[in-house]
Amino acid sequence: MGTKILTVEDDERIRQAVTLALEEEGWDVVEAATGERALETFTASPADVVLIDIMLPGIDGFEVCRSIRRTSDVPIIMVTARSDTHDVVAGLEAGADDYLTKPFAPKELSARIRAMLRRVRAHEPGTLERTRIGELEISPDEGMVLRNGEELHLTKTEFKLLVELASQPGKVFSREVLLERVWGYDYFGDGRLVDVHIRRLRTKVEADPASPRYVVTSRGLGYKLQP
Amino acid sequence: MGRQRWWRGLRARVTVAYAIGSLLLSFTVAGATFALARAQLLEAAESQHREQAYSNARSLRENVQSALEKEASPDGSQIDINTFLTNLSRFNGSQQALLLDDGTWYSPFDIKDQLQGYPQLVDGTRRWSVADMRIDVKGTVSYAVGIRLNSINASYFEVRSLADLESTLSSLRAILVGVSTLASGAGAAFGYYSARRALTPLSRISTAASAIADGDFTMKLDLEDDRDLALLGSAFNNMVDAVGQRIARERQFTSDVSHELRSPLMTLTASVEVLERRKDSLPDVAQQAIDLLSHDLDRFQRLVQDLLEISRMEAGAVQLQISQFLLIEFLENVMTQSRNPGLLRNFSPGDPDLVVSADKRRLAQVMTNLIENAEKYGGGATGITYEVVDDDVQIVVEDNGPGVPAEERDRIFERFARMGGVAGNRASDAGFGLGLSLVGEHVRLHGGQVWVTDRIDGQHGARFVVQLPLGPDRELHEEMAS
Repeated sequence: MGTKILTVEDDERIRQAVTLALEEEGWDVVEAATGERALETFTASPADVVLIDIMLPGIDGFEVCRSIRRTSDVPIIMVTARSDTHDVVAGLEAGADDYLTKPFAPKELSARIRAMLRRVRAHEPGTLERTRIGELEISPDEGMVLRNGEELHLTKTEFKLLVELASQPGKVFSREVLLERVWGYDYFGDGRLVDVHIRRLRTKVEADPASPRYVVTSRGLGYKLQP
Repeated sequence: MGRQRWWRGLRARVTVAYAIGSLLLSFTVAGATFALARAQLLEAAESQHREQAYSNARSLRENVQSALEKEASPDGSQIDINTFLTNLSRFNGSQQALLLDDGTWYSPFDIKDQLQGYPQLVDGTRRWSVADMRIDVKGTVSYAVGIRLNSINASYFEVRSLADLESTLSSLRAILVGVSTLASGAGAAFGYYSARRALTPLSRISTAASAIADGDFTMKLDLEDDRDLALLGSAFNNMVDAVGQRIARERQFTSDVSHELRSPLMTLTASVEVLERRKDSLPDVAQQAIDLLSHDLDRFQRLVQDLLEISRMEAGAVQLQISQFLLIEFLENVMTQSRNPGLLRNFSPGDPDLVVSADKRRLAQVMTNLIENAEKYGGGATGITYEVVDDDVQIVVEDNGPGVPAEERDRIFERFARMGGVAGNRASDAGFGLGLSLVGEHVRLHGGQVWVTDRIDGQHGARFVVQLPLGPDRELHEEMAS
């Protein structure tokens, strides 16, 4: 059985065309026209990747995203109207891993999906030894982070970001480097992806996210994991 | 707008009106003051003189009578009347004369002829016992009183010069003229001041109008503190609101249309992609059609994106996503992505540690548009360089083309809405979309400037310069270098 993608889109013609194109790329596609239907479908049979249009009648894309996030760390891609609005940040903060703006090329969407699935699977057998940094204990093999022996619940993207930073503690990673290694973007990826995920990561690994001890910003140019 | 002559200005006119008004007013008041003061002073002096004359007349009469009795002489001519008259004048500078009814004049002074020149005085004294008038004595205004002395059958005359009074009055006149002149000046100054005050709302209106011309429709004119102008203020504000709403509606329309276009574009893009994947199994004609379709869909998509960008700019809704990055790395990536790989090979970078703060996506669009512009009109960009000039960085894109004529150099960066649309023109060519005007807008949003000149190395071609202000953190932090 192939990789299953849940597409949540209210415009029927777009939904049909996107489904057609994604199926051509070799994915299994499940459609949902509303947020309510999407949640029902997802609960009944979880997908491997969820694609959500933010502008939905009824419960909107943000809410769908938050609801799914409560129970699952499935990769979520948001579809927004524009890239320079607060929608993007709001979507990322609602738990999305990545976003696309309409109209996007399904080829590009496929590339994003592949990048996401790749990074989820990359952690299966060890890319990084078990590492200890202060109170944090990162076990890439188990996909697990402990703080003072207690397990922290990170999404896969957050986890990958932390592992990337932990691969060379103290080294500053620019946004561009992190975008490429974690999301598979080229140089022109959106730095806000990194910023919002770092913020979310801090709320989980830091005792006081407002003055981080581990995930430290370096002069606006990048981030590092303070050993 | 032609040059205006200063005196046509409202302020100048109000000032002049105030000056003339206060001139007229102050001179009228001064004139009246002078006339009144003069009448009063003369009246006071004359009544004093009159009193003096009565007292002199009495003492003269007594002297003459007692002399007459003492000498018991019937011939008055024996009495030295002139001595009496001289004694009377000793202390107050007046001049006396006595006219006997037989027509004989006595006077130690040379005033007989003058008095004779005023028969109404002489006859009046005789008829009415007392007469007075102002007379001219050798060019000096003088006051003459005549008193009838019936007991000695004579008329006594006393003349006193008013020269002192005249000099007082002329001082007064000088003072009044001075004060009036000052008052006119003060009036002019007040006029200037109040004109300025009165014009303050006008200058506020003009400030507001320029702000509105620059697209700030939130500008409100506050004239509430002035009852007379509050109406103008609210009318003005209503007009601004109405115009603003109308423009907002039109922008909204552009924005809505562009947004609406996206849904069918999404369907088209996805469908064309499916067709392209299956292209090989289609007949030649269909393949050609798909190529055409796919190419123009691309163009259409970019046009809609540019339109959306422009409508966002028009709405002032653009928020820059400023981040800091290494300029060298940024430009290398721009060149790698461009369809002109030769650029990267010829790239001779400036300071490799230079960090700029900018919206990376927008700056990339600026560079891409400039490179594509060079491709389209300049035979391809020949080189990209950058250098720090004072507090700015200048990024330069050069080509080998025909250059841009001097008269079009400003115009090509203007918003497409204002362009003439000359065919073949760089900026208005629909095939290229709104490229250069977006370049202009993006650079301006960054607080920078963009311009084009001929190449400065003597070769043919255009030289596009994007100048951006550098933030305080222009050098790479040490940590990053390691």
